[in-house]
Amino acid sequence: MQATRCLLKRSVWKGPHIVPLPIVRPEAGKKIVPIRTQARSATILPNFVGLKFQVHNGKVYHDVTITEEMVGHKLGEFSATRKPFIWDKRK
Amino acid sequence: MVFILGNNFHELKLVKKALESFYALGPQASARVLAKYSIHPRAKMGSLPPKTITALTAELSSMTIENEARRVVQDNIKRLRDIGTYRGRRHAMGLPVRGQNTRTQIETAKRLNRVDRKG
Repeated sequence: MQATRCLLKRSVWKGPHIVPLPIVRPEAGKKIVPIRTQARSATILPNFVGLKFQVHNGKVYHDVTITEEMVGHKLGEFSATRKPFIWDKRK
Repeated sequence: MVFILGNNFHELKLVKKALESFYALGPQASARVLAKYSIHPRAKMGSLPPKTITALTAELSSMTIENEARRVVQDNIKRLRDIGTYRGRRHAMGLPVRGQNTRTQIETAKRLNRVDRKG
């Protein structure tokens, strides 16, 4: 990705779109509890890496595990809102 | 005929247009190259001395053009696809990526938007 694309997205003085999410760091050995959220427009921050989210798509919550490459994207990009149209021959 | 980076150009071809025929070299980048080697913007290929031609070839081989530049674009799309974004999915489907209407007029997207993008 071009380095400048990240900068063109949003004014620098605003910073990333930070949404207060109930983030609890899981202790080592314990199961990671997914964070259920409807904040699709929340920017993925570097401290989200490794966490599990359940992102709402308007109907259901999709499981998203955050990896390092996803930093800078929005949560909603990983939870599809549309169903692909498939022609049903049976009728 | 003038030989630059594996391509033959006619002597009457403008140097600027010849440079722009390489993928990832547009009007701005080619103008910059011309300025660097003090070539007139309307100069023809035939008027270049052999020394400048070798210098141009060396300059172009150091830039990310042609297949190298295509690979950069493909890697960016592949990254979007691999992390499972909406944009990556639209590329895989060959549909517009940035929320355009799809009822009509998506011929460009059909041609270009794919994971192993050619153009």
